Amino acid sequence: MDSSVHLDNTVMQFGDFTAIQKTDLKIESGEFFSFLGPSGCGKTTILNMISGFLDPTQGDVKIGGKSMKGVPANKRPTSMIFQNLALFPLMTVAENIEFGLEVRGVPKNERKKASDRLLELVALEGSGTKKVSELSGGQKQRIAIARALAVEPQVLLLDEPLSALDLKLRQHMRTELKEIQRKTGITFIYITHDQGEALTMSDRVAVMSAGKIQQVADPITLYRDPHTAFVASFVGENNGIRGKVLSSDSGVAVLDCGPMGKLAGRSYGNLVVGSEATLFIRPEHFRLQSEEGMHTVHADIDEVNFEGSYLTLHANASANQALSIQLGTHQFSDALKIGAPVDLSYDEENAIIIAGEDNV
Amino acid sequence: MFNQLKSRFGAGLAFGILGMVVVWLVILVILPQILMIDYSLKPNLLPSEVGGPKDAFSLVNYETLFNNDIHLAIFFKTLWSSVLVTVLTLFVSYPIAFYLAKVATPQKAALCLLLLIIPFWINEILRTFSWYIILAYKGPLNALLLGLGFIDRPIRFLSGDGGVLIGMVYAYILFMIFPIYNAIESLDSNQIKAARNLGAGWIRTHWRVVIPHAKPGIATGCIMTFMLAAGSYAVPALLGSPGSRWFTQIIYNWFFEGGNWNQGAAYAFLLLVMCIGFIALVMRVFKVGLGDIAK
Ligand SMILES: Nc1ncnc2c1ncn2[C@@H]1O[C@H](COP(=O)(O)OP(=O)(O)O)[C@@H](O)[C@H]1O
Ligand SMILES: [Mg+2]
Repeated sequence: MDSSVHLDNTVMQFGDFTAIQKTDLKIESGEFFSFLGPSGCGKTTILNMISGFLDPTQGDVKIGGKSMKGVPANKRPTSMIFQNLALFPLMTVAENIEFGLEVRGVPKNERKKASDRLLELVALEGSGTKKVSELSGGQKQRIAIARALAVEPQVLLLDEPLSALDLKLRQHMRTELKEIQRKTGITFIYITHDQGEALTMSDRVAVMSAGKIQQVADPITLYRDPHTAFVASFVGENNGIRGKVLSSDSGVAVLDCGPMGKLAGRSYGNLVVGSEATLFIRPEHFRLQSEEGMHTVHADIDEVNFEGSYLTLHANASANQALSIQLGTHQFSDALKIGAPVDLSYDEENAIIIAGEDNV
Repeated sequence: MFNQLKSRFGAGLAFGILGMVVVWLVILVILPQILMIDYSLKPNLLPSEVGGPKDAFSLVNYETLFNNDIHLAIFFKTLWSSVLVTVLTLFVSYPIAFYLAKVATPQKAALCLLLLIIPFWINEILRTFSWYIILAYKGPLNALLLGLGFIDRPIRFLSGDGGVLIGMVYAYILFMIFPIYNAIESLDSNQIKAARNLGAGWIRTHWRVVIPHAKPGIATGCIMTFMLAAGSYAVPALLGSPGSRWFTQIIYNWFFEGGNWNQGAAYAFLLLVMCIGFIALVMRVFKVGLGDIAK
């Protein structure tokens, strides 16, 4: 069955305020797709348009190739897991799960079978008669998932469903959600401001900022090849070093970074010579030993933090250029102490140069 | 309670506050009730007979009602009509309360609330009189309906119970709207969205999600409206026809026209007992506890 979701040149405005700028995006059938962006960037608005709680100002939402214009929220093949779960507190767990089936006129005994099966799927067998208030946070989470799956949606919409859980449970639920998605084959559209969640679970991620989609890619590409300065600094940790473009040719650019000298990295397209650009290097891409063809930055150590399997260093390369560096613990030596100078090298392949001085 | 007040206001003031509450309860609430019960249990005597052999407790005044078919009929009619007023008020108020709590923008809701409240700055008698004018045979409502072509002949709103019902629904609507509004306001809007998202139409969304949540508010509104309707005097007196007498009018007659306060007190007490009993029964049926309402 085609359960793709197509945002067909969709725009959403609230009065004069454009919450979602023109977006054309196709989410494939059976995909685990995430929208990642800071709070207030318009993620929930996108889900509301897909689920039918908001009508786009322009453009259309298509589910399974069919236009959803004029289709009310209760007639769409979507199911939502709300940010605050929104379980019905006056109903039992089983009544919650069966609500969608009750609406569809499914007889009582079949509803019971369905809720038993779903309770098993979310590993809460036998909790059907409990009250919602008797459940823990993680259990409520699972019941919300079971309730949403009960109606056999083509598309499951998840609005930051793990944000209320503690860290350990959150990590556990990630694996579980991914597992459920694999078992059911439903298209998952997942919203989060937590890049860890987006990167670990998704087939593809759309990074958003201020109502605009910045880049859509699979997690590895997003991490390795950010296309905009926003993506480079929002997804994972990154060091941004500003400079002026000295040369730009066949995917490699060189920047004049003032006191830090000339630094080179990969670039997208050709940058205008003389314009402002930013070079991004991830903390784990710095090396203490320089090898053939590497570029080197001189810095002074401000802080050394031992984190177990790795070390983080904070260093300053010039007056207002702080760098953060991540090293394997085996690289620790007495030379790495506060105030000591350090030479940091990186491979050109691992640095990305993006036009504009905006590194957010 | 005294200690709490004392720690906040000091012993003197705490004593004063509590004292006033006690005085208020005793003089204005408990004493009149006891007096009324005392009255109701004694026969209506000439001043010279007071303290004499006839001045003894009896249930004669209570028996009067059950021996008078007309009064008994009016008693039950008052009960039934008050139920009708309550149900009608509920049907009118629920959509308004829902609109105010969940649909309207805050500005619109504030404006609507103001428009609802302003008429209540006018005295109840005057408000009821304005309905008398509106509903009159040659009044503006009939003129409007005739003008719009909905009816060919004016309707006699005021000859049956219609006028009384309309007048009471209007008089007590705020007592219904506010508790329901408060209850619905506290419902998380995502609950409504969740029900819709799971496929529920509007009726089911209200029936399964909004109304169960608002039940305590609905109960509070219904109890207040029912009590006010059953105990109303001005509305039936002004908008009622001779055929639609209210039990309160009979009580009034005993007191001020029959001059028989003892009989009036017994009737008034019976009305009170009936109202409380009826409410207790309805609360039982709808599984509403006293605690729900006090919230
Ligand atoms: N119904 C609405 N009316 C006006 N503005 C809204 C409405 N819903 C959302 N917004 C605005 O749209 C922006 C995006 O909101 P939202 O989609 O909830 O963000 P996110 O879920 O990414 O945190 C916010 O600035 C928010 O204030
Ligand atoms: Mg949100």
